[in-house]
This record gives sequence, C-alpha cells and structure tokens, in this order.
Amino acid sequence: MTITRTLLGSAASLGLAAGLATTAVAQDNVTLTIATVNNGDMIRMQGLTDDFKEQYPNIDLEWVTLEENVLRQRVTQDIATSGGQFDVMTIGVYEVPIWAEQGWLTPLEDLPENYDTDDLLPSIREALSVDDQLFAAPFYGESAMVMYRTDLAEEAGVTIPDQPTWTDIKAAAEAMTDQDAGIYGICLRGKPGWGENMALIGAMANSYGARWFDMDWQAQFESETWNEVLTDYLDLMTNYGPPGAAANGFNENLSLFQQGKCGMWIDATVAASFVTDPDDSTVADSVGFAQFPNKEGVDNHGNWLWIWTLAVPAGSQKAEAAQQFVAWATSQDYTQLVAENEGWRAAPPGTRTSLYENEQYQEAAPFAEMTLNSINAVDTSAPAEGEIPYTGAQYVAIPEFQGIGTAVGQTFSAALAGQMDAEQALQSAQQLTQREIDRAGYGSD
Amino acid sequence: MATQHSRAAARFMIAPSVVLLLAWMLIPLGMTIYFSFLRYNLLMPGANPFVGWENYSYFLTDPAFQTAIVNTLLLVGGVLVITIAGGIALAVLLDQPMWGTGIVRIMVISPFFVMPTVSALVWKNMFMNPVNGLFAYLADVIGVQPYDFLTQAPLASIIGIVSWQWLPFATLILLTAMQSLDSEQLEAAEMDGASAWSRFYHIKLPHLARAITVVVLIQTIFLLSIFAEILVTTNGGPGTASTNLTYLVYAESLLRFDVGTGSAGGVVAIILANIVAIFLMRMIGKNLDA
Amino acid sequence: MARAVTNKTKAINTAIAWTVGILIFFPILWTILTSFKSEATAIADPPVFLFFDWTLDNYTTVQERSNYFRHFMNSVVISIGSTVIGLAIAIPAAWAMAFVPGKQTKNVLMWMLSTKMLPPVGVLVPLYLLFRDWGLLDTRIGLVIVLTLINLPIIIWMLYTYFREIPNDILEAARMDGATLRSEVIYVLLPMAVPGIASTLLLNIILAWNEAFWTLNLTAANSAPLTAFIASYSSPEGLFYAKLSAASTMAIAPILIMGWFSQKQLVRGLTFGAVK
Repeated sequence: MTITRTLLGSAASLGLAAGLATTAVAQDNVTLTIATVNNGDMIRMQGLTDDFKEQYPNIDLEWVTLEENVLRQRVTQDIATSGGQFDVMTIGVYEVPIWAEQGWLTPLEDLPENYDTDDLLPSIREALSVDDQLFAAPFYGESAMVMYRTDLAEEAGVTIPDQPTWTDIKAAAEAMTDQDAGIYGICLRGKPGWGENMALIGAMANSYGARWFDMDWQAQFESETWNEVLTDYLDLMTNYGPPGAAANGFNENLSLFQQGKCGMWIDATVAASFVTDPDDSTVADSVGFAQFPNKEGVDNHGNWLWIWTLAVPAGSQKAEAAQQFVAWATSQDYTQLVAENEGWRAAPPGTRTSLYENEQYQEAAPFAEMTLNSINAVDTSAPAEGEIPYTGAQYVAIPEFQGIGTAVGQTFSAALAGQMDAEQALQSAQQLTQREIDRAGYGSD
Repeated sequence: MATQHSRAAARFMIAPSVVLLLAWMLIPLGMTIYFSFLRYNLLMPGANPFVGWENYSYFLTDPAFQTAIVNTLLLVGGVLVITIAGGIALAVLLDQPMWGTGIVRIMVISPFFVMPTVSALVWKNMFMNPVNGLFAYLADVIGVQPYDFLTQAPLASIIGIVSWQWLPFATLILLTAMQSLDSEQLEAAEMDGASAWSRFYHIKLPHLARAITVVVLIQTIFLLSIFAEILVTTNGGPGTASTNLTYLVYAESLLRFDVGTGSAGGVVAIILANIVAIFLMRMIGKNLDA
Repeated sequence: MARAVTNKTKAINTAIAWTVGILIFFPILWTILTSFKSEATAIADPPVFLFFDWTLDNYTTVQERSNYFRHFMNSVVISIGSTVIGLAIAIPAAWAMAFVPGKQTKNVLMWMLSTKMLPPVGVLVPLYLLFRDWGLLDTRIGLVIVLTLINLPIIIWMLYTYFREIPNDILEAARMDGATLRSEVIYVLLPMAVPGIASTLLLNIILAWNEAFWTLNLTAANSAPLTAFIASYSSPEGLFYAKLSAASTMAIAPILIMGWFSQKQLVRGLTFGAVK
C-alpha cells in the first residue's frame, strides 16, 4: 500500500515514479514525515535539523506543522485508520498510554546506546511507559506554576509567597489590576478545550480537593467543592482578567504576558523560558515564579503534568529511521545543541535529570528549580483528592475524556463569557458528562 | 427541434458528469449511512457492533442540536440579508458615473479572493482582538470600553466576517444585472419626472429579482457548510453560541472521534440541507423558467 | 449619455465610492502593511500606518519555517488541475443540457447542485478510509479528484446558464449549412462561449485555491497546498501579528493578483443566468 502511494504520489507530482523509486531503493534514502505542533520549541527544532542531516545524511525530514487542535485531530484520525501519513507524531502524555494499549505505537526498543533512558525524570519516564517499556520519547515536559511580575507586585505592595494559596492569588490580582493602564491582575486560560481551559480548571479543581468522578463513575460537578472552584475562577477572571479571556489559550496569554499586560499568569512551566527571553518579552527581567496555588488545607498543587512527546506509529515502514530521529530530538546532545545556538535558557525543559544538574542551566534559567519541583510533585496515580477510579493529572486518562473535557470546557467558557452563571454551567457539565460516561458503559460493570 | 440523434448524443455528453456525481454522492454517503448505525469510535477499535438508531437518538437529543439548527439558519439568513442589501447598494453606487471605477471595483471584489482561513485569522487577531485589535484601539480613541466581539457576540461577528467575504460576489452579480438594464426605459421614466428613488424601486429593483435569486441559491450552498471561519475564530463557542450544524458534526466525529454519532449527524445535516435545497429550487425554478 | 452628469455629482459619487471601496479593502491592505513591520511595530499603540521601518524579516522567518514554493506549486497544480478536468467533463454536459433540453434536464441540474450541499465533515472519515485503501492520501491526484467533484456542479451550472443565452438561431443556421455536430461546437459554439468558459475557469480556480477542508485533511507533507501552509500559523506564538500577516499575504497574493488582472474576464461571464 505504501508503495502504491509513493508511486502515485510521484507520478502525480513528477511523472518520474519509476526513476525515483529505484534511486530510493539503491541509496536507501528515507524521507520521514513528521507531524508536530506549532509551539516555540518545535519551531526551534525545525531550525536545527541541519545537525541531524549531518549525522544522518540519508534521512530527509518533511515537516507538517499544525495548530494543536488540528494536529491532534489529524494524527488521531491517521493512526486510528492506519492511514500511514506520518512517520513521527508529536503527541501528548495523555495519548501515550491509551495508544500504547491499543497497539498503535512502536515500542522504542531501538534507541541508540548513548540515549540514556535512566537520565529521564522518573515521573516523566513512568508516564510514557507501559509495562516498563518506553513508547514515546519526551521532547519537553511541564507542570504548572505561577509566573508574576515582580515590578508590579512591588508597586502594588504585595508579596507572593513561594507556595501561595488561592486567597493569596486573589489578593495579589486585586492589588495589581490597573485597567486604565491596561494591566490585568491575572491571566488564565479561558479558551474552550480539554487541553486549554480544562487543563487549568482541572488542575485548579485538584488543588481545591475536587474530583471528576467518584468510585461509581458518577460525575461530581454538583459538589460544593466544584462550585467553589468555578465561582472563584469566574470571580478572578471577570474582575481582574483581561477582556476576551474566554478566547485566550496558552499562546494568547503568553503573548499578553510578554507585552506586559498581565500581573500574574498561572500556566505551564515551559512558558518560563519565553517570558524571560529578552528578544520576545518586554518584561523579561522582572518575572518571578511560585508554585501552583492550593486551597488552604488541601495538600494538592494541581498535579498538572504535560509532556509533548515524539512517537512512532506501529507498523511504520521507516521505524528505524524514525527512532533515530526521535532519539536525536530528545537526546542530551540536542539539549546541548539548543544551548549552543540559543543559550541555555532555551533548552527544552522538564525531561532529563542531567539538565537540572547542569550549573550553566541553573544559572541561566531562574525558573529551573521551580519547574523541577513542580514536576516532581506530580502524582499521576492519584491526581485528585478522595477516592477516584481513574489516573491522570489535570486530565482523566480515559479515551472519552477528550470529548467530555472539550464539552465541559465549552460550558465553562460560556460561563466566563457571561452567558450563564456558575450554577448553570456546573449543572450542564454534570448532565453532559454523565450522559457521555453512561453511554460509554463505565460504572455499569 | 432536437432530433433523436442529438438526444442520444446529449445523453452521452451528460453521462460522465452524472456518473461521477452519482458515485461521489453514493459511495461516501452510503458509507456514512452505514457507519451511522454502528457504534464506531476511532479511539476504541475492535468490533463495531450494529446499534440501530442509537446514534441518531443520541445526536438528536444533544442539547447543542437545536442551538446548532438555529445558528445555522441565523448564519445563512444573516449573511444573505447583509450581502444582498449591501450588494444592491454597492451595485447602485458602482453603476454611477465616477472617476476610477476600475480601481474601486478591484478594491470591492478583493475580499472574494481571500481564503476563509486567512480572513478569519486576520479579522480575529488584527481587528476584533479586544486588547491589540484595531477596533479596540478605535474604541479607546472615542473613549469607550473595547467591545469583545468574539465573546460577546460570537455569531454576529462570524456573520460579519463571512458577509465581508461574500459581499463582492453579490455585488458582482447584481452589478452585471443592473448594467444589463435598458437605459432607455430609465430615461423615459426620468422624462416623466420619476424621482431617483422611484426609478430605483419600480424599475431597477424588479429587474434585479432574478439576480437576487441566483445570489441566494449559490451563497446558500456555500453558507450551509461554513466551517473554517468558526474553527479559527471561536471553536463554536463560547458554549455553543456559534456552533452550526457542520461544526457540531465536526465536534462529534473529529473532536470526540465518535464516527458513529458523527455520521448520524452527517446524515441529519444532509437531510436538512436537502429540505432547504428543495425549498430553494422551487423558488429558483419559478424565477428562472421565465 | 442623455442624462447630464455634472462634475459635481460625479465628484460626490467618486468620493463615496472610494471611501466605501477603501473600507472594504482595508483589512487586506492592513495585512499587507503589517507584514512589513517588526513585531513590536505591528501592535504599536497608536497604530502606525505607513511611516515605519519597512522590513522583510517576517518573510524570511516564514520561509525558513515552511517551504513556501512547494505549497504554492501544490496550490497551482491542484486548483488548475481540478478546474481544467472539471471543465472537460462539464462543457459537454452543459452544452447538451442547454441545447438539447429534455424533460428531466432541470431536475438533473438541481440534483447536481444538491450534491454540493453534502457537508464535508460528515463524509470525511469514509473518504479518508477509501483514500487510504486506494493510496490517494497526500497525493495531488487525490485532491484534484475531490476538488473536481465538489466544484463540478457549480461549473456545470455556470456554463449551462451561459450557454443558454447563446441564441439558438445561430446554431440552427449552422446546422442548415450542413455543419456537423463537431464543427458546430468548434466553429460556432466555442467562440461564443469563450467568455463564459473563461469566467467559469477563473471562478473555479479561486474556489479551489481557497478550499480549506479537504486540502487540509487529506494531505500531509507532499501535496499540502497553501491552505495547509497557513494552518501552521493559526494560533499565536508570542508576538506574531507581523509573521501572521506575512504568511497571510504569501497565501493570498497569487490569487489576489490573478484576480485583479483577470477581473474583466471573471465578471463578463459571472451571471449564472441572472441577466435576461
């Protein structure tokens, strides 16, 4: 089938099918098609592929760079139908165990000797393994933390402790907001999507002691704690957030923060290297960091864990070359390469112990320690308080979660846009979650 | 009169188009109908059991379904009203003698060449963004709070963007029709002392009836499946405020990967589109046979 | 012109028309201008219009990230290919329907148009599976087939309405003179139909160029046209207005320029039978 496709493709484009195919076989040239997301670190990787070409002159790389939602749709559709359009896929930590169980991923058994899997952070490695076999290589990992403007905090006369509570956050947001000057005390995600606003709200819920489901797979949105979560979120955002927050995701908030419009921003740790980059950020030298907040009396800092990984689809004809690429892009040498080209601050964070032991990195990246602590604090086996039937983090690790999370995210986003109040939003979230989960047959067996 | 021979030739000439379109309609449609009776989720491979009407009942009882129908109608209707009213106004304007007609015409038709994704991106970010957009700046200048278009009025904003893209098409068709109007008739009316308004209302507008029907037909076909603009600007939200039927089907089959329910939704959408089509065809048929 | 047009009315018309024209065109103009700004200037408050340091940096950045030329070539091949094939299939059909109308002609025509109402998202998964089995995923041929089929109804309809306006008498006369069907088509019909065919061609190139659903979902690297190129800029990355503008300009420029140069031809046949 792949051969037919190559033939047809070449015939269509060049009409030289036969000629091309022969050369390909003779020189053993391989072209890898890599699907990736248009985040800063991945764009940087595209710029550094000359180094890879030097090491593997017979492997050509083709990039398909897409926005996160589109990327997820495209790769899921392709892998579920064995479409075979991609040789390397950028997927999230949520997908890895689910896809590995389905047998959709090639186990990474052919990694080069010097890859040093033991160097991967333990929580990261565990999250990407099934039965101790690694199924995807971490490109970068993140937890979440508070990023705030030290200058604005000082001006407003507030201090943000290293381990703030939500009450501290609210007080600081209030003090820093100066709408006439276009400064908003807090920027949080509001754009609907399980990987967008639900990542933040999900982590926030964990830190309040709320959970998605009880042991009988009954949705818990009508609980008192969820009510507190959503009420506080809406309260923070409507009073101290930027206009249009219901459309802001990670990238939009990053842009706002870099322009100096946000007092605080609670989001993925990976943002730290961008907000402290003097080339892109107008506030680079006045950013402080603190751990993800918790509710007083709840020992849970959100359990946010996200890893962008590179994985190889099962049944790929080019699995060997694909693994060579995956190994290159997630190796210590790649980190070194980024450091040489862009400085240590830009090194892809959150995957390897060696990076955090590197003194140059510690020096260049003031956020290193906070990032490492946040990641190490994550417990994916028990993300939420109370007894729960699922594992996960700011997400619930079941296949149905994408649909449920996105629909709930839409509802909460509508609440943020002022179309309904917290009560109504929770009620509708409860109904649609239960409807979906019952249909999928959870709890019935 | 057409001869037997030429009839046969005609059939022979139409055949390829009919066969191709029939195949295009039947193969994917047939598969869609088949899938719509299966429990088929891409994320959960394995047996795809036959589940009867379950997918349909699930899709039709989705609270978002009614909203989506209403939104679809509002979107199509809103854009039609704006583009036709605007198109007539522009056609009248461009029909007047002036300097530089050619350049004005080029400026007016340009939005038609812009791909939907690009136009949605540009409007969303550079104009409607409540912090950095040009509209926010203008609001600032006149001293009012920036309006958050895509959150406060998502559907209306999308109608605006889509209208901007389709206004040129309506204008062009209407302008051509306007220019085909016999000028002697107008002059005669003018001699009789008819005002500019009554000349427009009694002579020009009736003459445009055909052209308006054509615009309605062609635009409806495209507007029923508006998708890229919604995906780029609002993702159907906030809530389901800007979800149309196409987007709802997308959400089912490609965000939830529930191909079964998505297919059921697709079939429903096709049926509804065809109801609209029959309605339109009647209208057009009347107008075009004349 | 019998009606006296004073210079004053003409001046007023001109002023109104230019204002409206510039307003409608402004979003495009603004995008093009922004593409030459630095990222900081792009969000400057107050906005700067013409007087800034013009730079080509954004274009360089975009080009480094994506292979513009390949996307461009794919767009060209796919839109022209699908249009030409579509015309080849549609011209005979439209000719036959216009000149040898039967009882069912109108219904067939309406049925053809109704196939355009098939919502693409509803049939994506089935088509994806078929394309996988036929080895058509991420090929230009695959896209040409799909775009030909989705635009075929419009092509046929547009040609049909145009052909119908060609006076039958002329054809009758040609037949009397003993013209064969072939020569009737080549020597009589085609010359008269050229404007209609030309504007159908142009309209369909535009539609195919801008089609953003199938072109994004059925391609990966090899056959991805400009609609896929722009998709990688569709979410912000820090400050990105200038880069977005550059990418947008690159995506729309070819078709915009083609449109400007051919607008006379485009307009001439773009009536869909609206003129009687």
